[in-house]
Amino acid sequence: MEKYFDVSYIVESVPMLIPFLKVTLMVAGLSVLFGTILGFILAAMKIGNSKIAKKIAYGYTTILRCTPSIVLLFLTYYGIPAIADNFGVNLNDIDKAVFVVITFSLQFAAVMSEVIRTSYESIDRGQFEAAVCVGLSNTQAYWRIILPQAFVVALPNFGNSLLELMKEGALAYTIGLIDIMGKAELIIAGNYNTHALEIYLALAVIYWILSIAIEQLFLKLEKVFSKGKQVITTT
Amino acid sequence: MMLEITNIHKSFGENEILKGVDLKIEKGDVVVILGPSGSGKTTLLRCINFLEKADQGHAIFGDIDVNLKTASKKAIHGIRQKIAFVFQNYNLFNNKTALENVTEGLVIGRKIAKAEANEIGKKALDKVGLSEKYNAYPIELSGGQQQRVGIARAVALNPDIILFDEPTSALDPELVGEVLTVMKQIAKEGTTMLVVTHEMSFAKDVANRVIFMDAGVVVEEGSPKDIFVKPKEERTRKFLKRVLPEDYIFYI
Ligand SMILES: Nc1ncnc2c1ncn2[C@@H]1O[C@H](COP(=O)(O)OP(=O)(O)O)[C@@H](O)[C@H]1O
Ligand SMILES: [Mg+2]
Repeated sequence: MEKYFDVSYIVESVPMLIPFLKVTLMVAGLSVLFGTILGFILAAMKIGNSKIAKKIAYGYTTILRCTPSIVLLFLTYYGIPAIADNFGVNLNDIDKAVFVVITFSLQFAAVMSEVIRTSYESIDRGQFEAAVCVGLSNTQAYWRIILPQAFVVALPNFGNSLLELMKEGALAYTIGLIDIMGKAELIIAGNYNTHALEIYLALAVIYWILSIAIEQLFLKLEKVFSKGKQVITTT
Repeated sequence: MMLEITNIHKSFGENEILKGVDLKIEKGDVVVILGPSGSGKTTLLRCINFLEKADQGHAIFGDIDVNLKTASKKAIHGIRQKIAFVFQNYNLFNNKTALENVTEGLVIGRKIAKAEANEIGKKALDKVGLSEKYNAYPIELSGGQQQRVGIARAVALNPDIILFDEPTSALDPELVGEVLTVMKQIAKEGTTMLVVTHEMSFAKDVANRVIFMDAGVVVEEGSPKDIFVKPKEERTRKFLKRVLPEDYIFYI
């Protein structure tokens, strides 16, 4: 009789899953890219003087944070083609990855706008004033003094948000995207739904390794960029 | 006259903080502003170099003649080139070393070549006794050392005047002395200084003019002797009585 738990399934499924890591990473990468850009814009709206812009940016953040990822995914997946259809545009043949990237970009932007805003506000305004007093322009003061420090403050939260996004990204299989999660589902279906545990374990291991790699990368980045933050102890 | 300011008014919301302050400073002057907390001393300094925009007022600064409320970006930049500012809480650039703190304004603000800026910066740090700390980041320095970097940053710009806003108020008492020593030294070299401070010894020994401010106006001004020994105004007397040690007056 067949074993209920068979390690060989783990070993065999890993090489089958790995090629689809590309899709997972691409979707996450693009979402981070677009989400960060939009996050910057939202943060600027929150920090700026316009009351309306502030309201919009905070409203956006609240709504997005209150929407479960999977609900947002379905809303974009079904909603955007429906709206486009109203305007006579047919989006039915568009790659599913596009909807996933849109979903997670929108969500990541909400998170990043808060990460960027809080790290910006954590840098004492006095340094900006000192900078313009010694003759820097406002722009130079931001780029040379404020933003490099805000960046260091933002790094750990940015890293955490990125890990969060990657894990949430696994939901993309629900609309049929074949990333590693989608591929795992296919392998399980191919096994007539047996040995699912082994496949999920293989998947978990891949996610663990990926997460550790990202975590380590961010620890390294923090070290590199935190000039003037570490106290160098001398004996 | 090097700097002449007339009739500065500034309100925050309903509160009128400066109610028509005049100020004249000659080259080489060391002017100390005294006054109770909240009397508008910081606001006055901040209006002079446009960290706050005055509601009304006029400034003549060398060849620049501006309305403080409507000054153009160019005029503001021009005036800031002539003024250096030393902050109460230092405001050093935390992502830069002591030397970089000093050279930042030279290289970026004044377009001086990096090598030359480094020379100037090192000299300024030597002057404030920080020859050993060129490459230290602010976080590695004591408060007194940080403020001395702040002073070096101001001195290196070779400004026409340096404004000091309570430069020793944030320091532990035992660190006040080292900062005052540096300030006395640059005063002796002929630097024009406008200093808000509660250090009466500095006012007495170094200033050639003392201004007493209260509630947004200049109540009285004169030589240290005028102010400390025979103040004319009741408000000045009351303030001095509060801040000076009992027997201090007799030692002036
Ligand atoms: N940016 C600001 N917004 C509102 N009120 C302010 C601001 N800056 C200063 N004030 C108020 O102005 C008054 C005078 O402040 P300040 O000039 O700092 O006095 P001083 O330096 O003599 O202690 C204080 O009551 C302070 O609360
Ligand atoms: Mg003050």
